[in-house]
Amino acid sequence: MNRAPQSSALPQSAALRSFAAQWQKRPPDSLSPLRDAAMRRFLELGLPTTHDETWRYTNLRALAAHSFVDAPRAAAAVEPHGSLPLLDASDRAACLTLINGYPSLPPSNEGIDGIEINTIRELSNLDPQRLQHYLSASDADQQRWVLLNTALFVDGLYLKITGKVAKPLLILHVATADGADAIAYPRIIIEAAPGSAATIIEQHVAQGAHTPLNNSSAHIALGRHAQLEHYRVYASGAGATHFDSLDIRQDHGSRCRQFTIVLGGGLVRTALEARLDKPGASLDSYSLLVGHEDRHVDCVNIVTHGAPDTGSHQTARAIAGGTSRVVFNSQVIVDAGAVHAQSQQSCRGLLLSPTAEIDTRPQLEIHADEVKCAHGATTGRLDPDMLFYMLSRGLDRTTAQSLLVYAFLADVLTGMSVAPARAAIESALIAQLPDSQTLRKFR
Amino acid sequence: MLKITGLSARVAGKDILKGVDLTVRAGEVHAIMGPNGSGKSTLAQVLAGREDYEVTAGSATFEGRDLLALAPEERARAGLFLGFQYPVEIPGVNNVYLLKAALNAKRKAAGEPEVDAYEFLALIRQKMKLMQMSDSFLTRGVNEGFSGGEKKRNEVLQMLVLEPKLAILDETDSGLDIDALKVVSAGVNSLRDPKRAVVLVTHYQRLLDYIVPDQVHVLSGGRILKSGDSSLAKELERRGYDWVQGAEVA
Repeated sequence: MNRAPQSSALPQSAALRSFAAQWQKRPPDSLSPLRDAAMRRFLELGLPTTHDETWRYTNLRALAAHSFVDAPRAAAAVEPHGSLPLLDASDRAACLTLINGYPSLPPSNEGIDGIEINTIRELSNLDPQRLQHYLSASDADQQRWVLLNTALFVDGLYLKITGKVAKPLLILHVATADGADAIAYPRIIIEAAPGSAATIIEQHVAQGAHTPLNNSSAHIALGRHAQLEHYRVYASGAGATHFDSLDIRQDHGSRCRQFTIVLGGGLVRTALEARLDKPGASLDSYSLLVGHEDRHVDCVNIVTHGAPDTGSHQTARAIAGGTSRVVFNSQVIVDAGAVHAQSQQSCRGLLLSPTAEIDTRPQLEIHADEVKCAHGATTGRLDPDMLFYMLSRGLDRTTAQSLLVYAFLADVLTGMSVAPARAAIESALIAQLPDSQTLRKFR
Repeated sequence: MLKITGLSARVAGKDILKGVDLTVRAGEVHAIMGPNGSGKSTLAQVLAGREDYEVTAGSATFEGRDLLALAPEERARAGLFLGFQYPVEIPGVNNVYLLKAALNAKRKAAGEPEVDAYEFLALIRQKMKLMQMSDSFLTRGVNEGFSGGEKKRNEVLQMLVLEPKLAILDETDSGLDIDALKVVSAGVNSLRDPKRAVVLVTHYQRLLDYIVPDQVHVLSGGRILKSGDSSLAKELERRGYDWVQGAEVA
């Protein structure tokens, strides 16, 4: 098979050339036709630019000048929590660790009640059709990095939730590299069988002096009346770059609660695409986006109501300090025929410094009758009336300001049903605010 | 306790206070009355330290200290309390936690240790009983979803817990039905003490049936036009503010 790109699609940037070089070195496998198609398409399209609708506020020009190599398969040693301990061993069903996307699974005799765990490699042998179903990505600009992931991921995690799992399952994504300019391609598939119920927390942590670019992609499919609470939490340092894409498909009456929590990372881009294709499916999505120093956070959510009586609630809270920039793009599409769909989008931004920037864009596209859709977006500074009220009661200015920031995020925090994870996330948030000593007493 | 001399202030480029003189001694209750737009609330906010209100002339001292030189939180810790006309809702900040933080800020400034959690709860329950407030106030956000009357009760509750030396209550009576007015008045009266003073800012005489002031002042056009004892309030009720304003013109 000729795997060289055609001359018309010769990669223009160092990054694209390095991705093409990685692709040429991959040994063929059962997914090769699919991977080749994805890679060719990716090379044709190139890296997203600010001309692409969902990349308007995130410029990748600096990144394009780098040549990337594969991140290593293993780390010298793995810290059990990274920098942010979300769940103690007693609070979780299990912890699965992926190093740069490579799963290290517990021995098969240590199974978890209600969850079947496999690698994607195993799935490609057991049920290649099922795997291919998840790997087909569209051309849409928010899917650009998914195409690259499809072409280049080596292994990943496949979870099937078969029953009601009482404790949350933690998936720890460890990103680590020996040198600069490594890239990792984590891939995860989560299937929730009809009637199952579980909570899954994906936590992305960086370890060591060098952090690879993390191009991760996850798929979640909920069967009839399945219930899932899913978290993706980013708490890496300023050197970390994440491009994460999550797609969610929901069957009849299924209920998904999804939390995207960005507390760290230098450049974090998260995409969520959800399809509510069967009647009665509902999705609550919560985004907590924290920008500080010169960080850049870009979150795009696209929710499509494809069936009657579907519901979606989106709650996004963004705060930005320093010279950081936080972008929240949210689009709700109600297809023709999705009668009695209900959707709410609440996006609020809080600017903590005159040099920070927040861009929120809630959009609504309705092709059906008898729907109830609402959206609202506000961005501003701390309310001077609230601040004055607290000062007039004798509170320190820093305490009052931090309390107001914390209160601003409460709508997302109170939605979390995993108490220890919520407490850890609150602590991490508070630690980023001034006067954290006093604030801890308010919890 | 409070001495205001020739105080002038500007809000959003507009002169509102135009030379207010007022002296309040310990143990006294003063009522400041006046028509809408006369500057009553501006005076209250300026005394509490609202930053976007610009003092253009005059002075105000509180127990001999230059009040205007202090930040709002310093004024509060020194013993000044403003009961807001429109208490702001702060969702996500617990009502009781705010109160506890306020009390501890005051105690810290006085060199006292933080209040014991158990003692604090006992204290707040006792004051809530006096204000006839239900336990749900303990768990709600600051003024969050409170009715107008509940917000005013909450202001008085805060005042009772913080025990200020000087309480300035800005239209605490507005929007209250007669039962709530009695409760709020009883709360204010319970704080009357030879060492404290209260300034009631009000539009109506009604409140003064329950909290009888030592002195009544009529503020109009940014100045105090007339002062007298509690009978002045009754006369105003009978003759209207035009009477005082007319007297000024004449």
